Amino acid sequence: MRTARRISQAIFFLFFLYLFFQAAYPYEPFISSDTLLRFSPLVAITTLLATRQWIGPLVFAFIVLGLSIALGRYFCGWICPLGTTIDAADWLRRKLKRQSQPSRHLRTWKFTMLILLLVAAIFSLQLAWLFDPIVIMTRSFTAALFPIFGFLVQSLFDILIRFGVFQDSLYAVNDFLRESILPLEQVYFQNSVLLLLVLGSILLLTLLARRYWCRYLCPLGALFGGFASLRLTRGITVAGDKCIDCGKCQRECKMDAINDDFRSHSRVECIECMSCISVCPTQAISYRLNFHWAPENLDISRRRFLYSTAGSVITLATIRTAFPNKIAHGAVVRPPGALPEGEFLDRCVRCQACSKICSSTGACLQPALLESGLEGIWSPIVNARHGYCEYNCNLCGQVCPTGAIHPLPLDAKQKMRMGTAYFDKSRCIPWYRAEDCLVCEEHCPLPDKAIKFDIREARAPNGEIRVVKFPYVDESLCIGCGICVTKCPVAGPGGIFLTNALEQRWEENNPI
Amino acid sequence: MKSMERREFLKIAGLAGLALTGVGKLDLAAATAQQPSPVDLAVIQNGDPAAMVRKSLEVLGGISRFVKKGQVVVVKPNIGWDRVPEQAATTNPDVVAEIVRLCLKAGAAKVKVFDKTCNQARRCYQRSQIEKAASDAGAEVSHIYPQKFRKVTISQGKELKSWEFYQDALEADVFINVPIAKHHSLSRVTLGLKNIMGVIGENRGHIHNRFDVKIVDLNTVIKPQLTILDAVRILMDNGPQGGNLNDVKEMNMIIAGADPVAVDAYGATLFGLKPENLGFLQEAQRRNLGRMDIQKLKIEKVNLKA
Repeated sequence: MRTARRISQAIFFLFFLYLFFQAAYPYEPFISSDTLLRFSPLVAITTLLATRQWIGPLVFAFIVLGLSIALGRYFCGWICPLGTTIDAADWLRRKLKRQSQPSRHLRTWKFTMLILLLVAAIFSLQLAWLFDPIVIMTRSFTAALFPIFGFLVQSLFDILIRFGVFQDSLYAVNDFLRESILPLEQVYFQNSVLLLLVLGSILLLTLLARRYWCRYLCPLGALFGGFASLRLTRGITVAGDKCIDCGKCQRECKMDAINDDFRSHSRVECIECMSCISVCPTQAISYRLNFHWAPENLDISRRRFLYSTAGSVITLATIRTAFPNKIAHGAVVRPPGALPEGEFLDRCVRCQACSKICSSTGACLQPALLESGLEGIWSPIVNARHGYCEYNCNLCGQVCPTGAIHPLPLDAKQKMRMGTAYFDKSRCIPWYRAEDCLVCEEHCPLPDKAIKFDIREARAPNGEIRVVKFPYVDESLCIGCGICVTKCPVAGPGGIFLTNALEQRWEENNPI
Repeated sequence: MKSMERREFLKIAGLAGLALTGVGKLDLAAATAQQPSPVDLAVIQNGDPAAMVRKSLEVLGGISRFVKKGQVVVVKPNIGWDRVPEQAATTNPDVVAEIVRLCLKAGAAKVKVFDKTCNQARRCYQRSQIEKAASDAGAEVSHIYPQKFRKVTISQGKELKSWEFYQDALEADVFINVPIAKHHSLSRVTLGLKNIMGVIGENRGHIHNRFDVKIVDLNTVIKPQLTILDAVRILMDNGPQGGNLNDVKEMNMIIAGADPVAVDAYGATLFGLKPENLGFLQEAQRRNLGRMDIQKLKIEKVNLKA
């Protein structure tokens, strides 16, 4: 049974990786890349609560959740890619021979987290992004691990190629990798260090106890635990007469779920990993799915419930009353097809799947830090100086699990205004130096270019009179793709910049 | 960041020698291609793209004048934009494929096709249909490796004293430039000389001011033995990437020659422009890269329909 569980973990982890790497141009998916994200009941419930709308593709999540009535926290033990990663990180704990067993009272923390998220969601504040394990995995892999992975593999090839032997075969292998999993050029994400620290902290917690995150903190685990408490089957079953009270099962249990009598366990905590069955010297433990009804108390006191609700409300109020920084907010450009800002933030779970797929085309999307306020942390924003929205690309909407970015057909996307570009004449070469440039105009992808130019005589800084092409933006044409900003050769902020002026958001009743 | 710098340093130090030998080789190859030519320019019209390419080389004295057995050939189309062939922003894929086939037939050891694109490379390679056409024809089509750019001293440079060039372009025995003729707001028209921008690294935006001089500086480093201008469809406005089919004109023409300036000069006339009014052609002629006085050249025109 334990082997079966490990195989399942491996399969789902590889599935996660497959979906992750698949999210790149050309995107012709066999299975949509956001499938695993849609499996997460926490994402589904908080999104539904926050938006008060039924979002069709999230139906999977309720099937996943419903199954726990029969199978307990099977998701945590058999499927969750973060759980698998934490299990893998366990070798470090073994190596350092760390042994500690924190107090079982900590278990209730995860319920506090869950209540906090759910209450916030009721008040239309989406916080699942902070703690949902699948979101954490997708985001960390995108913004923290993917760039590192790309760098290391490419550097290895660079070093090997420099030796000067087998160059053709090395380039062939390198090309193959670039066609499959490596980016064509190094990808970069802002705040990647922060995201790496978050994942690293979760993994390092395992030094305090195996699956520390899953035991004490994970709100998705709490949600499954809640259902598991009402489970209709027996699951792990101990034949009391065969048990010799050796305690091996309790020491082995990742979740510290086995009670001190060695004959019973907390079904809220058990993740069905089957390790106890494997270590039992007398084969006293078995797994049974026959009907059994014995609801378990969830350890949530009324007081704790009130505390977490209050915590949630205070968090909400703090976030909602954060200073509205108009200068910063004016520069926040969302992906094409993004819903109106409030609804967008309710739906966006900050998984950064959009930024992952964007990194394979125009590479404009980046995880925000505070650019769009506290509520917008790690939501996707356009950094036009780094990348631009590719005119012929509409992939971000296709991988968004919650529809925060509406999947637009290409012709609609090409008309969707993300914002408007403006020249900074004090920095634009023709304007301050009286010299032709027109890199922006060259790159403007519109069939009728939004960057036009006047041809006039002008006095250069050295006094010479020249005929110069002076560019300007035709506001009625610009869709705010930002390629002019990306390609502007002027150092620093560039001679042209992007704002969200005149932006359009996707609205059901007001489609493009 | 520190390790990045060290890596950059190693890359430059370790391979400076390699780049230098590459330059030497190119000059040698250029010298061997200097054979008497039957005509200066071949202008072929009204055939299918592949037939026009074949005819143009026949007129110029055969591909074997340019490509010898065992040589490594770079065929450099314009794959700069995420556009389909009908939009005339990228070189016609059939033209590229036919050139690849002819080179291989002439005994080329390898034909490499690449371009440093403006839009994302994978999109450009696919949607231009050049990737498939060229690799089906037997070429080695690869995306640019950022690691393969080498800093080259431009000894004849006026504005640019050094710039990064792509290793494969520097080391090629034969460089065949295959531009498409397009409108361009800055240079008025983009043809062969400007197509060389596809083998350089660094921030290419810096080439744009004082363009006429800088583009010629670059062309003193990479000197194509053969330029085949794709004028099957030409882009008359909103270049260099177009997007509006009304700006596309069906010319059904191929212009080929060993003199890159002469090919461009002829190409300019398709847009109603006089070569002597184009700054970069004047500059190129001044620096002996070729001749723009097409009235005095031997031009053989073939109409395949007739």
